[in-house]
Amino acid sequence: MRKLMSALLAATMLFAAGCGTKTEAPKTEAPKTDAQAPATPKPFSLVIAQGADIVSLDPHKANDQPSSRVTRQIYDTLIDQDEKLQLKPGLATEWKQIDEKTWEFKLRKDVKFHNGETLKASDVKFTFERLIDPATKAPGAFIMGQLAKVEVVDDNTFRLVTKAPFAPILAHLAHTATSILNEKAVKEAGDKYAEKPVGTGPFKFVSWTTGSHVDLARFDAYWGEKAKADTVKFRAIKEGSTRAIELETGAVDIVYGLEPQDYERMKAENKVQLLRDKTLSTNYIGFNVQKAPFDKVEVRQAINHALNVDEIVQHVLLNIGEKATSPISKLVWGANTELKGYEYNQAKAKELLAKAGLPNGFKTTIWTNDNPTRMKIAEVVQSQLKKIGIDVTIEVVEWGKYLADTADGKHDMFILGWVTVTGDADYGLYSLFHSSQFGSPGNRTRYKNEKVDQLLDKGRTSGNATERMAAYKEAQQLILNDAPWLFLNTGEEVNGLKKGITGFVAHPAGHHRVKNIVKQ
Amino acid sequence: MVVPVMFGVTILVFMMMHITPADPALLMLGERATQEELDKLRQEMGLNKPLPVQYANFVINAAKGDLGKSIRSNRPVAKEIGDRMPSTIKLATVAMLVAAGIGVLVGVVSAVRPNTALDNTATSVALLGVATPNFWMGLMLQILFAVKLGWLPASGSDGASSIILPAIALGTGSAAIILRMTRSAMLEVIKMDYIRTARSKGLAERVVIYRHALRNALVPVITVIGLVFGGLLGGAVITEAVFSWPGVGGFMVDSIRAKDLTVVQGAVLMLAVMAALVNLGVDLIYAIIDPRIRAQYSK
Repeated sequence: MRKLMSALLAATMLFAAGCGTKTEAPKTEAPKTDAQAPATPKPFSLVIAQGADIVSLDPHKANDQPSSRVTRQIYDTLIDQDEKLQLKPGLATEWKQIDEKTWEFKLRKDVKFHNGETLKASDVKFTFERLIDPATKAPGAFIMGQLAKVEVVDDNTFRLVTKAPFAPILAHLAHTATSILNEKAVKEAGDKYAEKPVGTGPFKFVSWTTGSHVDLARFDAYWGEKAKADTVKFRAIKEGSTRAIELETGAVDIVYGLEPQDYERMKAENKVQLLRDKTLSTNYIGFNVQKAPFDKVEVRQAINHALNVDEIVQHVLLNIGEKATSPISKLVWGANTELKGYEYNQAKAKELLAKAGLPNGFKTTIWTNDNPTRMKIAEVVQSQLKKIGIDVTIEVVEWGKYLADTADGKHDMFILGWVTVTGDADYGLYSLFHSSQFGSPGNRTRYKNEKVDQLLDKGRTSGNATERMAAYKEAQQLILNDAPWLFLNTGEEVNGLKKGITGFVAHPAGHHRVKNIVKQ
Repeated sequence: MVVPVMFGVTILVFMMMHITPADPALLMLGERATQEELDKLRQEMGLNKPLPVQYANFVINAAKGDLGKSIRSNRPVAKEIGDRMPSTIKLATVAMLVAAGIGVLVGVVSAVRPNTALDNTATSVALLGVATPNFWMGLMLQILFAVKLGWLPASGSDGASSIILPAIALGTGSAAIILRMTRSAMLEVIKMDYIRTARSKGLAERVVIYRHALRNALVPVITVIGLVFGGLLGGAVITEAVFSWPGVGGFMVDSIRAKDLTVVQGAVLMLAVMAALVNLGVDLIYAIIDPRIRAQYSK
């Protein structure tokens, strides 16, 4: 018996000792020396963890954040939107508006794809036609929904013609859904293109282990400044706590999206770099403006005054995020940053309710999907509104049904979010507040204000940036006053970096560039 | 026996996926889809056909090896699941070895010294293993072995050592049931006359216990191990989540939430097949270890 136990103990110790080493970082090949380049830096690889696996590296087959974060490294877009949301030349070096529906672009010369092909205007035409073709079923097709046709003028010149004047088009051409593909590579691969994506970006695709990670390697024939890292591995780690742990063990260099609890803990320990970056997202509670009593503006304004949003940001969001003073994030081009939003004032709220003829409050429901943060927000809203006599019942609705029923206008109040992915006010306002967009396009509150419609149309069609800006600012003031929403918060993301990582600059849209990141 | 079980299981899953409200077409196209786009996609996906027809199509295609395409990724379901199945089998196997190793060894020891401090401690520890939530055990293991000691990787499936922590987290939950079964089976067998005979023949105690008693006690134990293995194949969802292990369980849960009907049906079918194969394997093992059963078959 004793022999058995000691044998067991010895075996366990041997076993543990034998499997001692951590997984090594992938071996990198020696960098190619170049007579003109500065002293060759030490080769290194980056491991980046995000909360989900990619869906596809064909930009026409996926439009989700995890996929876009990787396609951003493999492909380029015609226009480059930097971290301050300024538009700069990308694959297109110059552009001019020919008439109100036509833009002409000059394509950069001698740009190579990862397969050796040279970029031509015909690649651009092929890419956009495939994107908007209904047969492709591209989830990102709507980004180019205004495109009527692409005309090739010569190998380095082409024109985009829109269905109606569409001023935000330049910002849309910086979106990952419009990444430029190589016609030859796509046609040759057919159905299997997503397994071997080919772009012009600073990194080329190496492999994808489904459910686990994507491997990329530096593309040395890149047209721009070459990437610093030799290889990049994007790992999918679903659990927030596991992502944080991997940053602490050093197995991962960068983590996108740390959860607030982990952020608090790691802030105190000070072993990693923690960055808080504002995003283009906004969270709101929408009213059904066509259903009583939310058809009365006093009621909507009252609820905005009755809610202590700062408390929600502090206790539910753990201070990751900021109270919203306008329907769009302050970073968006066209945002009215002078608006003050609604102040927390329960007395005023009661006054407004009385004015609407409802001095004793009323009963209503709030819908949320099963997102834990949203459910907590619903609870806080319920308890705060009770103080002014509004009795809110919370209904948790499954996501698919949630989208369908709010699109049909069956709700009273609902919690939702919106991301202004293009960084342009048109995207953040048109679908949500224009009366032509009721239902699934985005306007689930069924809000209609003719002046707002006019201003949003002006913003969309005017070729003059100053005019656009003024129209959007006025529209936001009107929307704030009309309160089709209970304005909650604009978003923030927490990213974690190992000490020694430099060169990381977060992009508000979430598709951070990796090529300039350096690891000491 | 296997075939009716598979039909039953797949019909159940099929019904459940279709009864719950959300619409896969809406989930695929996203919030901005128009009614026409939704109708068109539903038509293409065959969602408008009557349920029995949809089920029949599924069965006919499955027999040919075609489990359809994932609604989310448009890749063949068989490939999506096939890519992840080896990881799940690896994890389930090692976890089962952990569970069986601990369960049988400690079960034997407990049975040989029943109601002593050793027996009571061992049983309590095993029960702790069952009572401890999977994710908590997983997190504790990560913190101790990956963060504090740096001996093992905290997540992922890269490298041979990455399977150790998830297998331990997963296996300890099942060790107790194997331990209890081994213990009670052994206690039964030890009372038998032939054990007394073996002892009076002067055989070493170790031979008596392992060659004679354990071998006879193994039949129910192997049944339990087989059931445990079948359960581990499909049920490692939480462990897969905590350790970022790219297996079928986590993938199936994601697919259920996204209403990816084809993937869920295909995954359930595959797992049912595997569970059936495991049971078959268990029957074969009986024949190997128990000559009485072998004799039944050869008659």
